[in-house]
Amino acid sequence: MTRLRALLMKELLDLRRNPATLLPVLLVTVLSFVLPMVIVLIVPAVTGRALGTDADLAKVSAIVGEGGGLSQNGRVQLFLFQQFLMLFLLTPITGAMALAAHAVVGEKQARTLEPLLATPITTPELLVAKVLGAVLPTMAISAIGLALYFTVISVAAEPGVPRAMAGWRTLVVIFLVGPSAALVALQTAIVISSRVNDARTAQQFGVLIVLPLMGLLIAQFSGSLWLSAGTLALIALGLSGVWVLLVVVSVAVFDREAILTRWK
Amino acid sequence: MIAATGLTRRFGSMSVVDDVSFEVSRSEIVALLGPNGAGKTTTLRMLGGLIAPTSGSVMIDGVPLTRATGTILRQRIGFLTESPGLWDRLTVRENLAVYAGLYTVSNARRAIDRVLDILELTDRATTRAAELSKGLRQKVALARTLLHEPQILLLDEPTSGLDPEVTRVVRRLLDERRAAGCAILLSTHNLDEAERLADRVAVLQRRLVAIAPPAVLRRRLTTGRVFVRVTGEPAAYLNTVRVFDSSATVEAGGIAVTLGAPDRDTPPLVRALVAAGADVLEVRSEIPPLEDVYLHLMKAESRS
Repeated sequence: MTRLRALLMKELLDLRRNPATLLPVLLVTVLSFVLPMVIVLIVPAVTGRALGTDADLAKVSAIVGEGGGLSQNGRVQLFLFQQFLMLFLLTPITGAMALAAHAVVGEKQARTLEPLLATPITTPELLVAKVLGAVLPTMAISAIGLALYFTVISVAAEPGVPRAMAGWRTLVVIFLVGPSAALVALQTAIVISSRVNDARTAQQFGVLIVLPLMGLLIAQFSGSLWLSAGTLALIALGLSGVWVLLVVVSVAVFDREAILTRWK
Repeated sequence: MIAATGLTRRFGSMSVVDDVSFEVSRSEIVALLGPNGAGKTTTLRMLGGLIAPTSGSVMIDGVPLTRATGTILRQRIGFLTESPGLWDRLTVRENLAVYAGLYTVSNARRAIDRVLDILELTDRATTRAAELSKGLRQKVALARTLLHEPQILLLDEPTSGLDPEVTRVVRRLLDERRAAGCAILLSTHNLDEAERLADRVAVLQRRLVAIAPPAVLRRRLTTGRVFVRVTGEPAAYLNTVRVFDSSATVEAGGIAVTLGAPDRDTPPLVRALVAAGADVLEVRSEIPPLEDVYLHLMKAESRS
């Protein structure tokens, strides 16, 4: 644990000294914040047409149920804010992909990997520290964005929407689905980073990992996918299991010898 | 403390290290000499548990170095890699603090202060690694190697590219570590360094060509030539000397004589000169420098 913490400390210090590497995460978070605000609050205010008057939106938003006696407009807002919440939590991962993809191959290229491997650090410690080094700053930025997201909702949304948002589903998405999805995506990037011998290849492969996430988001916005709190909790549990499996896989495929002797 | 037995490493069909066996004891420095590609770094990596031998074994303090024991045994080893490998954006102290954590050093702050002091880096503690010169980076890497007070040091070209001042600091440090009981194995291209520092020199050319104290290696190539300086006219003693070597000559104010076995024949030669009335000022055996021995061994190895 001490070794894991030590390497994690290095990762975080390194990021603090080079905050530009977190810029993609920050930009995606800002976009994820601005987009729902524009669609749900600004556009209706500017056009004078409430979202509840749109027949299609009214139809798909029925999936949220009564929402505690919300108006039609409130239901649409609740639906969209809930759906954007998922986007809000998942898209920063795409920004962190470069970070994770660079994690191992970057150490090799900077010639810092060999002294690191000469220490008693175990492969699981090394790989988990690397993934946490990418996940924690991403989650921190997400958390700040999330605070802002709920602040604006509580101030500008229809009455009753903030209270309806503060349910189990939201909590599960924020505290379980978001972190577990981040761990899975970034651990996959670490696996890739351990197997390729240059950072660009790692990033290119990393892009592929975000495709399933995008598919999930598109399904959500089409209204064809509405997951209950229970289903989301199960998904989070499944993702956690996948993460543990990925750690095992990444340890198995992390070939110290090949990294030291064949990578140039 | 370190014992390599039949150490062999192949990459594909190419043998990089072939059946190398040697030991490094407590309070001993062994220098690995060899040309580029001789297998020095690979040997060090195998001893440090970074790569596994294709065949053969490594014992550290009597414990076989395996995948299972590697984590524990690496705790006892200080490994200086060929490249300093510092994290550029971190300061010197931060670099060392991370490694103190990786080696689970208790009272890390004190340990860091200690190595900074030993390597005269205290005033650089808050400097980012990226701003350090090559010599200073190497010193920080050495500080990192000593942080957990290892009893075994594996050093890959510790003074490569360093200026004489830093080189002297490193050599002094290695002397101190040896006195403190460390077993030290270092690879170097610097024959002078090997001669000055090492108790034994191991000449590697994929396989172990020779391993012995530098003086013993040099004596292997001795020509048997002994130079004797006396007071007065050396020519007066030529007849005395020619009993030992009929071709003895006067050279540079002394007598140059070639002996069949210098260790055996030099004392009787001196006695004969004294008996002949010579005041002997100096007797110097002409022993070739280590460089000549090294080149000779390499040439012989490439012929074989």
